[in-house]
Amino acid sequence: MNIKKSIFIFLLMPLALPSTAQAMHISEGILPTQWALLWYAVAIPFVAWGLRDLRIKSAREPFFKPMVGLIGAAVFVISCMPIPVPMAGSCSHPCGTGMASILIGPAMTVLVSSIALLLQALFLSHGGLTTLGGNIVSMGIVGSLAGWSIFRLTRRLGLPAWGSAFLAGMLSDWATYAATSLELASALHGTGSMPKLLTAIGISFLPTQLPLGIFEGIVTAGVYCFIAARRPSLLECLGVERKRCACELCECEPKTGGVQ
Amino acid sequence: MSLLSELFSDLFARQDNALARIDPRTKLIVALSILAAVIYSPTPVFPLAIVIACVAVTVAIGLPCRLIALRLIAPMGIAGVLLVLQSMFSGSTPLWKFPAFGFDLTFTREGWHTGCLMAARVVGGVSVMLLLSSVTPAHRVFLALRSLGISKTWVEIAMLMYRYTFVLLDLTADVTEAQRVRLGYSNLRRGISSAGVVGGVVVLRAIDQAVRTNEAMRVRGYKGEIPLGLLPPLAWRDAWIITGSAFVLSGILISLEVLFR
Repeated sequence: MNIKKSIFIFLLMPLALPSTAQAMHISEGILPTQWALLWYAVAIPFVAWGLRDLRIKSAREPFFKPMVGLIGAAVFVISCMPIPVPMAGSCSHPCGTGMASILIGPAMTVLVSSIALLLQALFLSHGGLTTLGGNIVSMGIVGSLAGWSIFRLTRRLGLPAWGSAFLAGMLSDWATYAATSLELASALHGTGSMPKLLTAIGISFLPTQLPLGIFEGIVTAGVYCFIAARRPSLLECLGVERKRCACELCECEPKTGGVQ
Repeated sequence: MSLLSELFSDLFARQDNALARIDPRTKLIVALSILAAVIYSPTPVFPLAIVIACVAVTVAIGLPCRLIALRLIAPMGIAGVLLVLQSMFSGSTPLWKFPAFGFDLTFTREGWHTGCLMAARVVGGVSVMLLLSSVTPAHRVFLALRSLGISKTWVEIAMLMYRYTFVLLDLTADVTEAQRVRLGYSNLRRGISSAGVVGGVVVLRAIDQAVRTNEAMRVRGYKGEIPLGLLPPLAWRDAWIITGSAFVLSGILISLEVLFR
């Protein structure tokens, strides 16, 4: 019967949009106190890691702080871009953490995600203050570590940059949703079975997240290819690609204009 | 102003009213206390009362109903999904049974009650955030967080991110509009390709803006730390507000505990 129920939920979930479209953020009030505190405890060391990393880098080069802030804002804006999800007949939006972790590394991505999630909770009602820890863990930590490690690993294995960026974007998105499902199931199963609820939540995410992950991968690859074509030195300066020029980050000359 | 900019903006929080004049630390502490009370509440009555109160105050201070609805629609959808999931997957006492798509679906009594409680908590919590952000400008929230011990570097990055999000949102809107006019979103393939270009343009423009911002800040004496203004010490009135709300919330929670558990 539970499999039947799962199938029914699978069929039902696209009808519940836009709720599933916002589902990467666990909403305010969903997590019981002990779980909310646990996820905060898990998230805080990683945010501290990002802060430490940023302090060290900005002590060497003060330009680093505004750059991280601006790249954070850019990724936040990109994460608000609507992406069509044909299976659900609607739009969703990318996480952006895969792309951010490629550009600024996982530590700084966790930091930027924590800020983006707070801003979204305060001003867009996506996520919440009590669930901020859980959301940082799923989106910031799991998403960025998955994106960064997959990008690095596939580059070492000799995959072209666009392919690595695609895999990083796609798998970081799916990893974020897998972590969100786990957080929800562990907190909400009550007296019922956790694996069953985890399966149900996982299945309920499938109609939107399978295609969304693929599209996020494509968009991440598109962004990467665009930067690589227009400003390859930037990727070298950020340490994403092997450095071929002698310029330092602070000395990169901005090019005015661009594509509109 | 695009819809997202409008939603994200703290324009309405800059209006002058009794709530806007309260110290941001006090508002943050009281909002967190109400959130805790909403989560601890054993009955949906209290969170729903908070929803009504917060929405009423938000309407009264002049936030357009359209924006309130836009902010609440997604959490309400999530609340609905939670209600269905809980009703179907937890509890054992059948409440409703009905056939759908060839299956017998059973909603349980315990699951329905838990689902209602969780749904009320979601909407209640989000309403508190809605009210807080409607009466407190973003920079005041960040200053309050700094005063409450959040790292200075974190607050600096948050301020930069918030400030430049609007610049980049405007840029995104311009580029997207230009692409749309050139049929950049006429089919799925072109749409995804165009989205990649917009993303790339936004990242490149962000880096250019970072260089300009850095130069502008250096001219003004920036040496790696943005000076943050200090909030004045908490006044007696704020202390009374915090203590009073703590008493009221504790009283309500104890009464609900006695009545409903």
